[in-house]
Amino acid sequence: MNSSSRCTVTLLPDKRQRMVPEGTLLQDAVRQAGIDADIPCGGQGRCGRCLVRIEKGQVWRRPNAHLTSQQIALGWALSCQTEVRGDVTALLFPEKVRERFVVSGTASLKVPRRVRPPRDPVISQYLLELPPPSLKDNLADLERLRRALASASGVKNLEIDLSVARGIHQTLVEGSWKATAVVEHALSGGSSRLVALRPGDAVGTSLGLAIDIGTTTVKVVLVNLRSGRIIDTASAFNRQMSCGEDVISRIVYSQRGDGVRHLQRLVRETINGLIAEVCALHELEPEHIDHVVVAGNTIMIHLFLSMNSRPIREEPYAPMATSFPAVSAPEVGLRVNPRASVYCVPAVAAYVGGDITAGILGSRLHQREGLALFMDVGTNGEIVLGNSDWMAACACSAGPAFEGAGVECGMRATNGAIEDVTINYHTLEPKVRVIGGGAPQGICGSGMLAALAEMFVTGIVDKVGRVNTAIQRGQESGRRRIVDTSHGPAYVLAWASESDTGQDILLTEVDINNLIRTKGAIYAGVGVMLRGLGIDARDIDAVLIGGAFGQHLNVEKSIIVGLLPDLPWDKFHFLGNTAALGAYQVLISRRMRRKVEEIAHRVTYLELVADNSFMNEFISNLFLPHTDIDEFPSVKEVLAQASLNNTQAVAVGERGGR
Amino acid sequence: MPAILVPTEKWAGKVREVTLGGDSRKKVVVGGETTLPFLHFDGVIPHAPAIAIDVEDVAPQNWSPVLGAVWGDVMREGLAAWARKAVEAGADMVALTLRSADPDMGNTGPAEAVEAVKKVLAAVDVPLIVYGPGIAAKDNEVLVAVSDAFAGKRLALGLCEDKNYRTIVATCMANGHIVIANSPIDINLAKQLNILITDMDMPGDRILMDPTTGALGYGLEYTYSVMERLRVAALLGDSMTAMPMILNPGREGWRFKEAKTRDGVPTQWGDLEGRGIAWETTTAIAQLQAGADILVMRHPKAVGLVKRAIASLMATNY
Repeated sequence: MNSSSRCTVTLLPDKRQRMVPEGTLLQDAVRQAGIDADIPCGGQGRCGRCLVRIEKGQVWRRPNAHLTSQQIALGWALSCQTEVRGDVTALLFPEKVRERFVVSGTASLKVPRRVRPPRDPVISQYLLELPPPSLKDNLADLERLRRALASASGVKNLEIDLSVARGIHQTLVEGSWKATAVVEHALSGGSSRLVALRPGDAVGTSLGLAIDIGTTTVKVVLVNLRSGRIIDTASAFNRQMSCGEDVISRIVYSQRGDGVRHLQRLVRETINGLIAEVCALHELEPEHIDHVVVAGNTIMIHLFLSMNSRPIREEPYAPMATSFPAVSAPEVGLRVNPRASVYCVPAVAAYVGGDITAGILGSRLHQREGLALFMDVGTNGEIVLGNSDWMAACACSAGPAFEGAGVECGMRATNGAIEDVTINYHTLEPKVRVIGGGAPQGICGSGMLAALAEMFVTGIVDKVGRVNTAIQRGQESGRRRIVDTSHGPAYVLAWASESDTGQDILLTEVDINNLIRTKGAIYAGVGVMLRGLGIDARDIDAVLIGGAFGQHLNVEKSIIVGLLPDLPWDKFHFLGNTAALGAYQVLISRRMRRKVEEIAHRVTYLELVADNSFMNEFISNLFLPHTDIDEFPSVKEVLAQASLNNTQAVAVGERGGR
Repeated sequence: MPAILVPTEKWAGKVREVTLGGDSRKKVVVGGETTLPFLHFDGVIPHAPAIAIDVEDVAPQNWSPVLGAVWGDVMREGLAAWARKAVEAGADMVALTLRSADPDMGNTGPAEAVEAVKKVLAAVDVPLIVYGPGIAAKDNEVLVAVSDAFAGKRLALGLCEDKNYRTIVATCMANGHIVIANSPIDINLAKQLNILITDMDMPGDRILMDPTTGALGYGLEYTYSVMERLRVAALLGDSMTAMPMILNPGREGWRFKEAKTRDGVPTQWGDLEGRGIAWETTTAIAQLQAGADILVMRHPKAVGLVKRAIASLMATNY
């Protein structure tokens, strides 16, 4: 390369120009042109904040995992990884666009924007105008109601509870012989059921509730049953957490004297608290919740229904039930319409529960032509592999770290949680992104994962997750970030003075080991499944990621730590809380309910306990990214690039005489 | 008559060669195999497995009386005499444990450690393995001093575990020594430690791996299968498992009641001396078959038996 040839770099939109020697990094040209560039990673090609679009001219991009080939085809480039090879015109994206690029691959509960009223609702509402009784027509109130409903809806054979019947007269009088009948349709054959009679025109006030009972987090979705629209969602830690963090310790707890009842009470209270909260917020009556669908892992459902979950823990791990009898709300203590029925989505097996069945429905794995891998990342990691022809599932215990529990500064992914971290290689100073934008209160799963990936790539932790307290970089500022705690050395993400809690927000070595075990268990499940079925990861068409944690997950960083298989980024789809999504679909559609039952029957369950390869796979995953680096070729490249950048950076620093 | 063609396996990988000692002293090269143990028709086994004999810088208190009977005089006489007798007994190397640095055994410091190593180096000219007392903080203290004091002597220093690898690897790198990477009987953990050490830019030909010995009756089959898997992985081309293996059948074989207890045991067990020697020998030979490159042993008779086994297994004219 002839270094004496000079090139003109034009920077849009301001049209600033700068002459630089050929081979200059675009980022240096930007800086020399007097444009302030905030690059948290220190020019390592990792944070993506220096994204530009090459409009004209020749550049050379260093190999980098950050951009997809499509993005490169669009002219995108990371200016810190791009050398000028002639006159170049580049567009600097506004902050907002770059920010969006940085957070690409996040999603919340994804439901179609415009929800059409369900065609085959579980619950229908009929406005009835009854002729008041007279001497000529003194048919009994109840029969009068049946007659009107039959003519309005065609529903005959209506089941009416005594409790509704008792109130009929008062309701009809109150509404001046106008009333709204809320009918739950029979799924197949059988008779329909009157779940509420409300005075006057109350059509559209009927509510439904989809609940995802997670081991750590409980989420409720409040739905208008007429429009199918989601009114709001709310979530909270499962109060059962006080009785053990994972399903096994819950089962153990349930074995004690009053354990089952106590655990049922705790989850019921969690749900009722959420119902009260979300209804109060929208000034709605919990009494109007006429139908409830619950998705949860098999153990959570057993405990919710006060069923003995002990057999799940003992070989051969046969639960009491995988499809559950319909129950009425009072039987399980839910404070909703007492005549509402509560439907629990059927499970596949002891450790692949209704949350996964619902998740398959929500992710549409069962309709895909190509091979897809569905991962639900929560306290348990469940993995489903398959397509429209076949599906196989397995489960592994991951622990609650990704949900923010069991980690010193952990929290759920809500306002105030650090959800992304970038660490500058040279200064070892972090830059964090906080949900809601305020001062940080703690760190959520995706933030932990990002922190771990960054600490790994910058050498703050080694491949077994041990903090390098002797790190010879970062001078005063960066090394300050490594502190001693009672849980071993830790890295400070936010100082007490910057945090909302008045305490340092940090990740300790114990936390890090916790995270590595968690990611190790999940990826081990993937590995055993793929090997067990003789499938090469490269044959996977799509990776569908569910679980509350999936909402804010960063693909690159998840691959760097070895949580997700090393596949091209465009194969990953973040679906948010698929269990809640599936439960929501089942809540509003009878067809979906039949579908979910079909799915539960179709999935083949692989028992990892029966397979000693899991432990071997797990140990080899207790490493960043994996003991066999060849399974993660792009991470290998990133690491090589990081060390290359480092030597270059050092050389530049030396030349600069600093 | 048609010749019978013996089917052979061609492996892509090769175990690394590690040279201990040298300079003005004797050197021993281990490793370099391109096939599974002793399958000479498949590949090359350039170096016979080597034997080191254990010596300690203070007379050990809980060794089997059988070992006391053979080493007692030199234990009293001193380290130099012990090392010389070890070489006379057939040791290709001496494995010195700096036991006196153990807080319960005298809690000596770096100066005493350097002195002990100096004595052994002066007494014999075979390569030297130096073990710390097995307590991470003390290991770091004495091994760093020894490493500095004998730079360039290509000592093998250990144990280096994932908890404390940085200090020991750094000092071995700086002073040209060999590091002994110890992991608890698991193929992945062994490989992970090798990666961590290599990540510090330690050359692969200065790492020995110790996958931990479980003696006969105490996990030998477990050790055996992990060693075998490590070796197969190495031969398949995995460079992070391709380090020569060093095992301690002496220390482990003599630890248990079968090798220590004379009285109150069933008569079928036979006499203690024969039993103890058999225990160490059996453990060692099983490890040879699984791919051991260095065996650290204790009883001269066991050493003799194992050397005879090595000689016949290395003979290619069968």
